[in-house]
Amino acid sequence: MKLKIDERRCKGCNLCTIVCPYNIFQEGRKLNERGIIVPVLDRPERCTNCRLRHLYGRQLCGACQMICPDQAIYWVEEDPYSEESVVIEF
Amino acid sequence: MTTRVFEKWYREDRLPHIFCTGCGNGTVMNCAIKAVEEMHWEIDDTIFVSGIGCSSRAPGYMSTDSLHTTHGRALTFATGVKMANPDLNVVVFTGDGDASAIGGNHFIHACRRNIDMTVICMNNMIYGMTGGQGSPCTPVGKISTTTPYGATEPVFDLAELAVAAGANHVARWTSYHTKELTRAIETGLATEGLSFIEAMVQCPTAYGRRNKFRKATDQVEWMRTHAILLQKVRRLEEEGKPIPEEHFAVGEFVHRQRPAMGVRR
Repeated sequence: MKLKIDERRCKGCNLCTIVCPYNIFQEGRKLNERGIIVPVLDRPERCTNCRLRHLYGRQLCGACQMICPDQAIYWVEEDPYSEESVVIEF
Repeated sequence: MTTRVFEKWYREDRLPHIFCTGCGNGTVMNCAIKAVEEMHWEIDDTIFVSGIGCSSRAPGYMSTDSLHTTHGRALTFATGVKMANPDLNVVVFTGDGDASAIGGNHFIHACRRNIDMTVICMNNMIYGMTGGQGSPCTPVGKISTTTPYGATEPVFDLAELAVAAGANHVARWTSYHTKELTRAIETGLATEGLSFIEAMVQCPTAYGRRNKFRKATDQVEWMRTHAILLQKVRRLEEEGKPIPEEHFAVGEFVHRQRPAMGVRR
């Protein structure tokens, strides 16, 4: 699983930064195209739900998702080998 | 596969909602929807009712049938819905101005009749939508547009009011305590009779800005540090010690089985 913030919904209230037990969410610095400072993810692979969801078969922790007033935080299923993008050179 | 929050219950085309940055109403919506989902209710059997105010925008973002009614009269409309069809599960979203100021009479009588519904009151301690006027829940000494030198009137304790008026399940939590709030709402949904859950929420635009909370996170931190468990409050009262200033009790105030009205047969 991969932790994501929906930039179309986030309004930059930074409530997620105070609830995460691993401090994954950090206050951002850059404005996005909607003029909102979206939090940045600091090593999101530490997230409990990312690591252990498949082992336990249920939602774990989820404090950031529950406190997010804009329903912007979600997880996506990771595509295996998506990191190693193959570039073919001719 | 993505795991968004409760795709089934939110109207994706309506989101993002109009609440201000950092408003706690969205958090309470999340908690309410999670509790409803854990009750395994159907979308067609559930109805959300609301009055007027910031909190009452919430049913507009949900895919169930909903009623957006006149100011303070959410509970009367909900009573009508429940009497007309007791098979429906009725959940009322209301605010502190909506429930206690203009709809105070309807609120106490709904508690007295003990109608089988769940009332979620998002108490932001101010009239947020109309520009920050002082509400019956504005704490003493706090600044709003109608109390520029600090509010002087005593505060309405909505949870204690509901206990006295006869509701079957009364709890109070804040928007920081999402797990506890979800559990309280779930217990309320399962309880027959009126269950009243007061959710203290932050209002960074109208309340926090005027009361030395620069950011939404500051007010959430304040709620986290100033909420004391009800058991501790009772213990302090037994020992005759004073409750620390500006603190408020959180927890389950009452859970009882008074005869209820409009229960499904």
